[in-house]
This record gives sequence, structure tokens and C-alpha cells, in this order.
Amino acid sequence: MADDEAGRRRARGELESEVMAALWAAGEPLTPAGVQTALGDGLAYNTVQTILTRLLEKDLVRRGPADSGRGHAYWPAQDAASLAATRMRAALDERPDRRAVLQQFAAGLGEDDAETLRALLAEREP
Amino acid sequence: MTVAVYLPLLLPVLVALAARLTADRARPRAAVPGLVAAAIFSAAATIWSLLLLFLTLFDDLPAMIDLDSRTGMHLPEPVPDWVAVSALVLLVVALIRLERDVHLRRTTAHRLRNAGPAAGGVVVADWSEPLAVAVPGRPGEILLTTGMLRVLDANERRAVLAHERAHLAHGHHRAVLLAGAAAAVNPLLRPARDAIAYLVERWADEEAATGVGDRDLVARAVARAALATAGHPAPAPALGMHGGVIVRRVRALHSPPPASARWQLALLAGVTAVCLLLEATATADFVDVLRAWLAG
Repeated sequence: MADDEAGRRRARGELESEVMAALWAAGEPLTPAGVQTALGDGLAYNTVQTILTRLLEKDLVRRGPADSGRGHAYWPAQDAASLAATRMRAALDERPDRRAVLQQFAAGLGEDDAETLRALLAEREP
Repeated sequence: MTVAVYLPLLLPVLVALAARLTADRARPRAAVPGLVAAAIFSAAATIWSLLLLFLTLFDDLPAMIDLDSRTGMHLPEPVPDWVAVSALVLLVVALIRLERDVHLRRTTAHRLRNAGPAAGGVVVADWSEPLAVAVPGRPGEILLTTGMLRVLDANERRAVLAHERAHLAHGHHRAVLLAGAAAAVNPLLRPARDAIAYLVERWADEEAATGVGDRDLVARAVARAALATAGHPAPAPALGMHGGVIVRRVRALHSPPPASARWQLALLAGVTAVCLLLEATATADFVDVLRAWLAG
């Protein structure tokens, strides 16, 4: 499929995680078309559909009738994510010094830094 | 024993200096291995020096004292006993700290692993605190909280994922583990450890920028994620370089990618060479002392 170039370039696993992330970020059930829009990078409808089916098989998402009455809407499975959160918190609360050895994406922001960052963001606002 | 046995204890100051010089100038993927090697070498040198100093207590063994008084010859006493005893204490403390640090890092990764089913190597945790963490293992995993996912747009989420995947792909946890271990042995290496922790983040940022093809996008993801964490009880930052780290990362992404910095890396190689030289000298000194004892 010609419009599926983004899909071919990225590995299957990456797409799965991106769809998963998009469903969580949405905070409401999304149709495959909704996922397509949320990802916003020209993935083919069929690719999105395939990924959603795979996530459904893995029990990571749930499916129900869409609000529009046509087709299905998908939302992330709550139990798996709650369990992950419980385990994560338990690990971090068990020993507070664990946080210090975590390689976190972005952490440890001072007051002045927040101001500087906001300025830097505003500067580059598209 | 000459000064050669003491100097390696202070060499980390040079490593820290080299770390500072490399941090924002060299390409992270070139600087990290060099810095880690220098940190490990100087930590090993610290242990070896402390061990040599401690072993000079050998002449205080009852048998040796006996020998000394019997033959009437004075065995050499290369360093004062109190120095040797202090070295022993420092050595024990260093090894305990080393064990603790490695244990903490290992158990942390272990406890966070398999937190839940993964989709494409990513585990989502439904937790309002914004966190994104790469958990090493076979295979490694990325832990993302819903708190993090909700503050970013689709492109920024892709940047975060690319960043975390770079950590896993290049085994950054190993560099950080070794740096932490080295700093546990010799606290003078803490600035080097922090620089290495900073540089692996920079490395992952650069790789993410290449992956998504947009430096500004990665900068925005870093900045927005950091701002989102600001509202949460701040965990003690791992970086002694304090909070300015995030700003430095964003600024670095707003600038062109760093070029290679040969001389800073040469400095690291130099430090490592000096380390080896001093330790060789100290060891030779010790062997001389040992010979004198055994001959007596």
C-alpha cells in the first residue's frame, strides 16, 4: 500500500507501543480512524486495524461498539495498567533511594529551570 | 613506598575535570565509553593503592616481629602503621559502598521488570506521576506512566519512546552502573558519575533526534516532560549537576549536534595511562619492600 510507508519504516513493536500510548493519552475509546488521527503520521487504516487486533489478542485493549453505532471503539485495558502502576509504586516506595538510580526521561527540575524552560519553549513555538 | 601509591587516590580529580570538559563538547557516544573507562581505571587504582598500603602491615604479623627482633635487623617500615590501618578502613568502606550501590541498581531494575504485559516492549502504568523509564533486561522494557503520556502529543510521545529505546539499544544502564560503582569506591569520582549519567541522556536525545528527524521536537518533549514532573514531589535528582541538566539538554538540542572532540578524549586516555604508570610504580615499590622483608 502506497500510503503505508510510515508503517513499513517502523518496526511492528514500535507501532504497537505508539498505538497503546495514543489510546492512553486519548482518555476515551477511539475508533481505528480515531487512532489514525491521534497518531497523525499517515499510517494506513488497515495497519492501525491490524495493530488493534493484535493488542486485543494480547489482552492489552478492550473493544466495544463505537458511539456512532458503526464499527468498534478501543480503549486500553485498565487492569494490566493498574497492576503495572501498583508494582511500580511498590518498587519505588520500598526504597526511596531507588528513584535516584532510575534513568528517568526528565526529572529533577529546579524553580529557576522551569522558568527558563518555559521561555525556551515559547521561543521555539511553531 | 613513594608518593606513587597515594597519587592514584587523587587521580579522579583529573577524570572529573575531563568529564566537565567533554560534557557539552564531545559527541556523547564517543565521550561515554572513554569516561566510563577512565572512571573504572581510577576506581580500580584506588582499590589497588589502598590494598598495597594495607599490606604494608605485613611486618606487624607476630612471625615477622619475631623475626625482626631475632635477627636484630630492622625490617623496613614503608608507611606508618596508622596510614596502613586507615587504608584498610577506607578499603572496607569502599567495598561496602560498592556492593550497596550495585545491589541497589540491580534490585531496582529487577523490581521494575515484568511490571505488566508489554506492547512492543512498552509497559504502560496507570499512574498520574509522569515517569518514563528504561528498564534493562533481556529484553529490556520501557515503563511509561499515563501521567507522562497525557502531557505529550503523538510526536512527542514518539520522541520519548525513541529516547528510551536508545537507552536500551546501547546498554546505557551498564555505563551508569559502572560509573556508579566507580563513584562508590572513590567519592571523588562523583562528578564523573554525574557527567556520565548526563551524557547517556544526551546520547539518547541525539539518537531520538536522528530517529524522529527533528531536534526541536525532542527538545520540546524533554522540556514538556520535565515541566510536567515539576508539579510532583521531586525525587532527589541523580545528577549532582542539579536541575540545570534539563535546560542543558534542551539547549544542546536547540544547537547543532556536537562534533567530535579529540583532545578531551586524549585527556581521558592520558589519565588512564598515568593511572597505570603510578600503580605500576607503587606495585614495584611494594615488591621491593616485600623482598626486603623476605630476605630479612
